[in-house]
Amino acid sequence: MAKNNGVFCHEPDVIGARINVRYFLALGALLLSGPQLAAQDTPKTVVGPRNVYLADGADALFAGDAEEGVRLTLKALEFAHGSRETKFAHANLCAGYAMLDKPLTALEHCNWVIERDPNYWRAYNNRAIVYLKLGRYEESEADIARGQALRPGSDKLKTVKGMLLDETDPVTESIEIDERRSVTDDGDDVEERK
Amino acid sequence: MMLRSASRFAIAAVLAASAAAATDDVEQVDSSTDRVPLHTMIPDYPQVARRDRIEGEVQVCFDITRDGLPQRIAVRKSTNRLFEKPARKAVRDSTWVPLKKGEVDAGIKACRTFRFSLVPVQKDEPDGQ
Repeated sequence: MAKNNGVFCHEPDVIGARINVRYFLALGALLLSGPQLAAQDTPKTVVGPRNVYLADGADALFAGDAEEGVRLTLKALEFAHGSRETKFAHANLCAGYAMLDKPLTALEHCNWVIERDPNYWRAYNNRAIVYLKLGRYEESEADIARGQALRPGSDKLKTVKGMLLDETDPVTESIEIDERRSVTDDGDDVEERK
Repeated sequence: MMLRSASRFAIAAVLAASAAAATDDVEQVDSSTDRVPLHTMIPDYPQVARRDRIEGEVQVCFDITRDGLPQRIAVRKSTNRLFEKPARKAVRDSTWVPLKKGEVDAGIKACRTFRFSLVPVQKDEPDGQ
């Protein structure tokens, strides 16, 4: 899973894809270092991600290149195999468009995912950010609550909640330093920074 | 014989007088109250605490060396562990005015309390029309 500005893009089988890439590299090394094996005319299997565009798009989003991420993910949507890949593509497009500051387009993709999988907490997380960008704070809060119900204690949802609170109830940090020995002592020698 | 004991008495009297004078020159300095801060480092507000709107208080106690550096820094009281690390670091990076010649540390620990709080920001209201 990738994170950017609190937006999460799902990398479908990306861990698997990375492992597969490792396998692929290992296989390549084996083939390069063992020409005798190739010469034996044994069957060869090339292992890699099923939807390369989806994995590459997620990587681009992860790297912060939203434009490239969206471009590749749209391509991935064309070649998506099955509902799972389609769902992940839409979820990543939601994240990508949110990163591109196109919240309305992002919202369409998030809604698409949530309509089909109402228990997918990451989609609520992303949609909460989209709502936040649109200034629809109540809907954002509702999505955070739904996400937290599905994924209690999620650090990512706490981050979005913090972003929401910064918008609705902004605060400034204040640190007082008290040189007195006892916390209960009275006195005036208090330094303050706001 | 009389002369020898008189000279011993005189030497003893001189030694006693000089010892008394030396005691008068030494000034006991209480680190908990008398040491003057030279550079006070203000800790950073922990990001997670700010995100989750957590406030808290930490009391850190420590010794101050003759040179004005803190040592044996320890958290004495804390309302949330999130604040302990930045508080300790702030003390570690702070300095005090070194002791002058003739001043002696009384060996009492100094303590510093850090209060981390979040103050609501007043939003600018648009002019009423």
